[in-house]
Amino acid sequence: MRPPDPSRRQILAVAGISMAGALAACSGADTGTTHLRLSSWNIPTDLDSYQAIADRFVEDHPGTSVAVEVTTGSFHQWFITRLAADLAPDIIRITPQQIGRYAANGSLVDLTQAIPADYQEDWSEPFWAIGQRENGIFGVFQHTDNFITFYNRSVMEQIGVHPPTTLEDAWTWDQFLEIAAEVKKVTGNYAFSYGWSGPDTAYRWMPLIYQNGGAFLGEDGLTPSMDTDAAIEALAFGRSWYADGLVSPSNMSKSGGGHVDFDLFTTGQVGMALTNPEAIAAFDEAMSGEWGTAPMIRNVGEGSDLGGNALAVTRSSREPELAAELVAYMTSRDNIQEFCHNGNWIPSRTSLDAGDIGYADHEDVMQQFIDQGTTIPLSMVKAQSGEYFSSLNAVFADYLDLCLIGQLSPQQASAQMMEAMLSVTTR
Amino acid sequence: MSRPGERRARLTPYVFIGPAALLFAAFSLVPIIIAITLSFQDTQTLGEGEWVGVDNFAKLGSDRLFRTALINTLVFTIGTVPTAMAAGLALAVALNRPLPGRGVLRAMFFVPMVAAGVVVGVIMSWIFNVDYGVANNALAVLGIDRIPWLTSPNMAMFTLIIVVVWTRIGFCMVIYLGALQSIPSELKEAASIDGADRWARFRSITVPMLTPTTSILLILNVVFSLQAFDVIYVMTGGGPGFSTTVLIQYVFRSAFQDGQMGYAAALGLVLVGILLVFTLLRQQASKRAESFL
Repeated sequence: MRPPDPSRRQILAVAGISMAGALAACSGADTGTTHLRLSSWNIPTDLDSYQAIADRFVEDHPGTSVAVEVTTGSFHQWFITRLAADLAPDIIRITPQQIGRYAANGSLVDLTQAIPADYQEDWSEPFWAIGQRENGIFGVFQHTDNFITFYNRSVMEQIGVHPPTTLEDAWTWDQFLEIAAEVKKVTGNYAFSYGWSGPDTAYRWMPLIYQNGGAFLGEDGLTPSMDTDAAIEALAFGRSWYADGLVSPSNMSKSGGGHVDFDLFTTGQVGMALTNPEAIAAFDEAMSGEWGTAPMIRNVGEGSDLGGNALAVTRSSREPELAAELVAYMTSRDNIQEFCHNGNWIPSRTSLDAGDIGYADHEDVMQQFIDQGTTIPLSMVKAQSGEYFSSLNAVFADYLDLCLIGQLSPQQASAQMMEAMLSVTTR
Repeated sequence: MSRPGERRARLTPYVFIGPAALLFAAFSLVPIIIAITLSFQDTQTLGEGEWVGVDNFAKLGSDRLFRTALINTLVFTIGTVPTAMAAGLALAVALNRPLPGRGVLRAMFFVPMVAAGVVVGVIMSWIFNVDYGVANNALAVLGIDRIPWLTSPNMAMFTLIIVVVWTRIGFCMVIYLGALQSIPSELKEAASIDGADRWARFRSITVPMLTPTTSILLILNVVFSLQAFDVIYVMTGGGPGFSTTVLIQYVFRSAFQDGQMGYAAALGLVLVGILLVFTLLRQQASKRAESFL
């Protein structure tokens, strides 16, 4: 027997009940499990590491679950829109250069209660300062990276130079320029490349200012100080790279094409590269055994790039205490060791060295990066993790670019940069 | 009192346009109203804004970067729109006749239009790299010196225009092809009989008959050029210096790097204003042109 056709009212009733059920399911009604979301950059090894560590946390916390998701697109756009909708993940992986604005405007949660009292002892003062504010701790620095000098062994042999191996023996600016001039003769093109990877990474050039005894912002972390002699000299030093043809004009913060610095090195157009540990894999693939490393250059002072990420809890979290507990767990010594081992990262904790991490390869180079991390100045960290840094970095990118390409003299670049910086910091 | 049948008939159109109207309201109308409201406020990244009247618009007058971005946007638009349309029309005319592999050629020209802007930007950055790009290597074979495609403030905008025109030609070609095929062949045959040569037929029949299509394409291309962000962001980041900084990039920067949502909204409304004025002028011009047909 053929079943009777449903009437229009029956169809509407079924649709209405289904819709109500679906809405109820989406309403977030209590299911007895507390969910946390952690968002990270889309690096498969890191996503696996976070999930593995989170799974152990869940085992110790029955009734909880942790999902690791991916931060997509432009960070600020992604994060601001989610915060505005109150849908940001509970825990966010965030760089030192991004954290300041959100720590200042109440988008991040104070972790003080969840962080064990002895944690701070195992972080250097600059690394701890990334998350520390007067009114609390808004992030824990999980891993870092910085810049050292990579060189082509064959080029160094040809010019008869034995690169330094210790921080104390690092090349000064004058020594470096002298060697760079010789390297340029050998390559027939340029001498070295610098590790920018887009306009957002202009700040990677900032250590040069500190190496010369200058500062981007004053000790208060707020007053622009790019008008000092030391800062102007640093700009002039950078300008000379391009004026003397030591660096390719395609290698600036605003130039595109991915890692131009790696490409220039692996294609033999430069003999040295001042860049971060990401280069290791690229150089191994293209020229295994043909490269070596030396410390980052220095002048009257030392300094290197501040890379890496912190973990922070967002104000969207419905379970901020549990999320803060997970951040503390993720940044325990064992878990940082595991995370850095799996992802080939440099640990933020001072008690971990390359031997402790057990890197699969290039342990000596990784130790060199760990040692170089000690040269990152506290005042640069405070400047880069400050409230206005996102805007200030854009200003820095603009005027550094204009100076390096020679459209502005170092003095003009300094003066115009100061004006633009003041318009930001006096808002 | 109207009968139920009449009432239903009156309501039916609204039921059909209802979903589209709802979507339009949710994703266009309401955001536009919010943007207008925001443009009169001093709003930081998050939180309540402070009402500042027309301050954001007044600030535009003294903002050097805004002026630079506005000029760059105009240069970019003038460089890309007529070139892409003329090249698209030329290709459409060429491919509107029996040719071996015509379908494949049409598809090839259209592919850049559907490629993601970021992908195009990265590939073109490599191609136009001054040191190891294919473009300069090809020129070197011909004995021509390296050209600083993206590294010279004088060349970078020109290079971007080449790239964007390349992505746009296929789109213009496809639209023009459709329009060309709708021109009655009798008109051209009659003109031929009257002694018109190929150029005269093109000038006096094809071009006027394409006026409505040209009008639509012009507006669409101007919109595309004003919205061009990804290719420029990836290839030059607005540099060297400010030489390729365009308005939409400045809007993005003000909103998400500077966290100045109110100012970014004001900048966005300037873009909308430019587009509105242009569209109205174009519509008037089209009406006049069509009245002569």
